[in-house]
Amino acid sequence: MLYFVRRFAFFVATLWAAVTLNFLIPRLQPGDPAEAIVSRLAGRNEAIDPAQVRAVRIMLGAPDGSLLEQYVQYLGAVARGDFGVSYSYFPYSVTHMIGQTLLWTVILVGVTQVISFVVGTLLGTWAAYRRNSRVDSIITLGSTFLGTLPFFWLALLLIYVFAITLRWFPERGGYGGGSTPGWSWLFVSDAIQHSVLPATALLITGPIGWIIGMRNNMVQSLGEDHARLALARGLPRRRIALTYGARLAILPNVTGFAIALGGILGGTVLVESVFNYPGMGRLLLEAVSNRDFPLMQAIFLFTTIGVLVANFLADVLYGVLDPRVRRAEST
Amino acid sequence: MKKPLRITALALAVALAAAGCTGTEQQGSTTTADGMVDYLDYGGFGGGSNPQANYNPYLPATALGAVGYLFEPLMVFDKYHCEPKPWLATAYTWKDPKTLVFTIREGVKWTDGKPFGADDVAFSFNLLKQHQALDSTGVWRYLSAVVADDPRTVTMTFTEPGASAFLLVSELQIVPKHIWSTVSDPVTFTNATDPVGTGSFTVKAFNPQQLTIARNPNYWQADKIKVNEIRFHNGDGGGQIDQLKLSRGEYDHNGMFVPDIKKAYVDRDPEFNHYWYPPGGTISVYLNLTRAPFDDLAFRRALTTAFDRQEISDKAQFGYVKPASQTGLIVPGQAGWLPPDIPNQGVLGYDPAKADADLTAAGYPKNAEGKRLGKDGKPITFTFKVPGSWTDWVQAARIVTENLTELGFTVQTQTPTPESYENDRAIGSYDALFGVHGGSCNMFTNFQAPLASDQSAPIGKKAANNFVRWTDPRTDQLIQALKVATDENAQKAAVADLSRIMMDQVPMIPLWYGAKWFQYRTKKAVGWPSEENPYANPGDNLLIITNLRPAGSS
Repeated sequence: MLYFVRRFAFFVATLWAAVTLNFLIPRLQPGDPAEAIVSRLAGRNEAIDPAQVRAVRIMLGAPDGSLLEQYVQYLGAVARGDFGVSYSYFPYSVTHMIGQTLLWTVILVGVTQVISFVVGTLLGTWAAYRRNSRVDSIITLGSTFLGTLPFFWLALLLIYVFAITLRWFPERGGYGGGSTPGWSWLFVSDAIQHSVLPATALLITGPIGWIIGMRNNMVQSLGEDHARLALARGLPRRRIALTYGARLAILPNVTGFAIALGGILGGTVLVESVFNYPGMGRLLLEAVSNRDFPLMQAIFLFTTIGVLVANFLADVLYGVLDPRVRRAEST
Repeated sequence: MKKPLRITALALAVALAAAGCTGTEQQGSTTTADGMVDYLDYGGFGGGSNPQANYNPYLPATALGAVGYLFEPLMVFDKYHCEPKPWLATAYTWKDPKTLVFTIREGVKWTDGKPFGADDVAFSFNLLKQHQALDSTGVWRYLSAVVADDPRTVTMTFTEPGASAFLLVSELQIVPKHIWSTVSDPVTFTNATDPVGTGSFTVKAFNPQQLTIARNPNYWQADKIKVNEIRFHNGDGGGQIDQLKLSRGEYDHNGMFVPDIKKAYVDRDPEFNHYWYPPGGTISVYLNLTRAPFDDLAFRRALTTAFDRQEISDKAQFGYVKPASQTGLIVPGQAGWLPPDIPNQGVLGYDPAKADADLTAAGYPKNAEGKRLGKDGKPITFTFKVPGSWTDWVQAARIVTENLTELGFTVQTQTPTPESYENDRAIGSYDALFGVHGGSCNMFTNFQAPLASDQSAPIGKKAANNFVRWTDPRTDQLIQALKVATDENAQKAAVADLSRIMMDQVPMIPLWYGAKWFQYRTKKAVGWPSEENPYANPGDNLLIITNLRPAGSS
């Protein structure tokens, strides 16, 4: 029991630290949001108009009060779920913007993460079970090779072949320009078509980490004394691999998977920007480059909370799955 | 057997439906029976990567680009020649240097059918007076009152003689009083549902991927609008995919940077694909005038022939732009403002031998190792800052530093992020870097912004625009004279003297003109502005849309 209490206390402390850092970091960054917005509009070939900077500054409103007062206000607002107005999408609120993008990211990245984990774990298990065979070399070398390809390049290659040359799929966006977002059959099918290429890019690179991790963990655990003993006792190889090897080897991957799922909220900046996918990752990138502090803070906060919650759950799950952990911490 | 068949049919239907609603790629017949262009595909429409419906013309930072087609100003400027064209006002007169009277056009209707009048104009101006956050061009820096005298007359009173603010006030977009007067907070008003304007188009459909605007059949000059629909596509802001789509002819018009445009675009379809890159602002070497040796006039003068402007234009800017005039004016477009005694329109050649001799004569000789020495006898070393991600500027900076190194200077290039670059430039924390100035139709701000002492600030404090920290009473006098000049002769006299100061005192060293990117396709529509027919600048949407006609018509 103490184990779970400790984990929970740790979770609360980290959460507070994250919220506080989230408040401080944007305030330590150089750059004035009003100037950033105006100079982005003007482009580098035009002089910027100080009148417009002034108007934007009035529009956004300066944070008032001392840093401490701002901090107290911020904590209150976070508790109420009020993240203010986005600078780069003024006058739309941060909550509105996140609401627009959240589902896209959760569905695209969530589905591909789960598939990647399942496929990766299975392939890793298979490779470890048939270790040093041809299957093992194909899986291990193949995934290592794919892993060395820059994701950006891979994604552009997919676009070039399947969208630009063959024109099987649209080259970017989450849906077509002529459709009306909603839960209609037409729109959903359109969205699915648009998600094929980004999902493929994620699925090509996604399982690699799980494959390598699972294979290496399992090869190690199969080499341990208890596994060799089981072999000596004449247990079937397949049963040893699955019940003794795989069960132990999957433990570190469970934590990794939980954290990966928690991180979904931050989106995958790269895939979303290459495919212009309307998700949180691209929104975050834009918020950072526009000095959109309210939006940035909210996305960082969501990501941090996501990771922390997932981490906490993984810890709890770990304690359940592996009694050794619980016992080690109680003593 | 039956079941798989049904699944196949279903899959086919899905694929067809999906293909149908992505419909941005199809190319079919383009001219309708009544002699209209059916639709045109334009590039991005503003509002960031995930645009939200926002048709508030006074929030230019976040409003969608279509507001320029929904709302109209009193006068539209042809920004290439800087000439006003009557629009919602048919005429204007200066009653005295501080009083400007506009005659408002009759017969104009808002898109909801209500008549437009002088009341709407006065209301729009006073709305900005009340809400400073909306006054993004700063018209109330100059105005003291705007009144509707009768339904057809608006009188504007200025705090000082107001000729220099004419462009600003005549370009303000006018909104309907009967709608905006009921809005509780116009600063947070997105005007998202059925925005009402006087413009040539109305919003037809919007989602964050595409904005479609449709021709307004009741427009006051509807006979001039030959385009039924404009579809703006949310691109990746000129990234690789947008460039591919452009080269495939999927945009009728776009404005983005494309390396080697001739090969990447024009050569793909030479009959229809065209581009025109008229000059925007002047990009200059800014020397920090508070530091030695840049505070020495003879030193700066010697450097004016030290830079190979042609190589910068050709190599760093792909030959898209021309070397800039030392006068601070854009030539040849603004050549009419030049004093006649300035040779070659003030464009200086590359003459490193002359620069070398002038530097030595000014007291900056080279030592035995070929290092240029300062007045203190030590080799001159300084830094040159350029944002690392602006690749064309980095190329230009490379040429500039090479030119300087050949003259014996030790120059270190620093490549900060754009944000810290802009910050360093504003607070004066630099030796040398690039700055942009001028290029607009407002001659007063062209010179006031970079040179007036009230635009400067002490080192360490952010300057509004005078980043070199040029403080000169004579310049300030001329700028004030230009501000209050009431007739063209007085304006020209002040501009001529200011351009002489640029030539003689060298507050900055202009190198090249930044280009306005403008690609267009003549397959569906013709009548785009071009080098041969520069009737407007690329951003003058209202002038362009009233000039477009279906391809094949004469």
